[in-house]
Amino acid sequence: MTESKTAVLLMRENPANPADPYRMKELRGLANAAGYLVLDEIKQRRERDHRFQIGRGKIEEALAHHPKKLIFYNPLSPTQVFNIRSEFPVQVLDRFNLILEIFASRASTREAKLQVELARLSYDAPQVRSELALKKRGEQPGFRGAGAYEQSMYHDIRGRMAKIRAELREVEAMGEGRRRRRREMGFDLIALAGYTNAGKSTLLNTLTGSGVVALDQPFTTLSPTTRALEINSRRALLTDTVGFIDDLPHFLIKAFHSTLSEIAQADLVLLVADLSDPLELLRRKLVASHKALWDCQVTAPMITVLNKVDQLDEFDARMKVDRIRDLAPNPVMVSAHSSQGLETLKELIHERLPPLKEYQIRLPYNSRSFGELSRLYRTCELLNVRYEEELILSLRGRAEDVARMRKTMNDELAE
Amino acid sequence: MVCAVLSAQVSPNFIEKIHTVRLVARISEALDLNVISDLISEACLCLPGTIVAERGDFYNLEVWRAQSILGRDFKYPETIAERTAIELAHHISLAGRRLIAADEY
Repeated sequence: MTESKTAVLLMRENPANPADPYRMKELRGLANAAGYLVLDEIKQRRERDHRFQIGRGKIEEALAHHPKKLIFYNPLSPTQVFNIRSEFPVQVLDRFNLILEIFASRASTREAKLQVELARLSYDAPQVRSELALKKRGEQPGFRGAGAYEQSMYHDIRGRMAKIRAELREVEAMGEGRRRRRREMGFDLIALAGYTNAGKSTLLNTLTGSGVVALDQPFTTLSPTTRALEINSRRALLTDTVGFIDDLPHFLIKAFHSTLSEIAQADLVLLVADLSDPLELLRRKLVASHKALWDCQVTAPMITVLNKVDQLDEFDARMKVDRIRDLAPNPVMVSAHSSQGLETLKELIHERLPPLKEYQIRLPYNSRSFGELSRLYRTCELLNVRYEEELILSLRGRAEDVARMRKTMNDELAE
Repeated sequence: MVCAVLSAQVSPNFIEKIHTVRLVARISEALDLNVISDLISEACLCLPGTIVAERGDFYNLEVWRAQSILGRDFKYPETIAERTAIELAHHISLAGRRLIAADEY
């Protein structure tokens, strides 16, 4: 954090809604994660000001601290940004742009960079369009009046968005292929999902013994990270994903579709929540997570991992679990930090993974069959192998494994 | 217009059991909050539990205001199961409307 990155946080609360102290706290966390030194937090309960979103007096109060930027919790329209910047000598950001700034600074993979650029362009495109509409109002024909340059800027943005979408579709197709191959290799796919800073990466590290970067700040993880895990002889791959956050525009979720498809295509979703949060905040975060999971079209079974149970006493923990039962499918209390409750979680994961089916397969004696038998030893649980007129196998495994073997053997017969 | 009501028992992410499906059709000159709330009240008559409806159905009103208009427990969808139930009701109401329209012609 540098002295040059200073900011004052501003939030307008709707008088019709009850006061919510946690939103400002979350904005402070986001500002700190983006590297800003927060000089002050200013709130105002009033109806929306059309010119500045918040009252003029509150902006003047904020400017008394001489910040580099004003960060608003409420979304700012292009006109409001223009009005504030033309009347006050300060740069402004809203919460969405702050999140994009964090994403842009942490995006390390090509996929993440493309996703951030797409989100930025999706946000900019309608703003550029409205700026153009404003400019064209006073446009004159002839010299300096055609506006062709500005129009092409909007079309350039749309063109770039189309290109990024095409690239992301390729990435998504590669991800789909990777998931299919992993299933064929006998792995179950488990995804970690949940509100940002709930402890997903710490849980991944504790469950798999890996050393993924896990910090006490929002959006530490942007790109999916996968690690292997073995639970009661079933091999699984645990994938850590980007965290959710409340009040996100739909197009940001669309931009991160290729990452979120890791959750949508999983066999089991672990919905991680921070149990040490106050009850009201915990419920709000769970509701936001449910909304994001609905947007991802998740149909897999879910386990709610209530993390950080070591930070509160048993009575409080049980009381909270009772109060969130309607939002938490299959709740289990754990502490990823102290490894408390992890054995219960592993048992529950084993119980909730899709059950393996039993198959009996007959194979001819040839080299391809023995190759497949060798593969099945690695990917399935072989119950019995009988060497009779044909090779007779009894096994327990995933439908994908058996389908792949049947396809290979049919190809062999066709040849 | 057609209002479809689904009375269901839900867990956080699945619909466990559907008890009742009800369709109420009504013709109205104008569409406003009173007409919509009357229609929803009529459709939910004698059905137990909390009414869950989309934000747009109640013009994004605060929950306490919608509750006082309906005179019953009310909330906007929170869980995946509640959203699934609403989606199902939408499909049912659309199908019902098409049936009625086909019958008229």
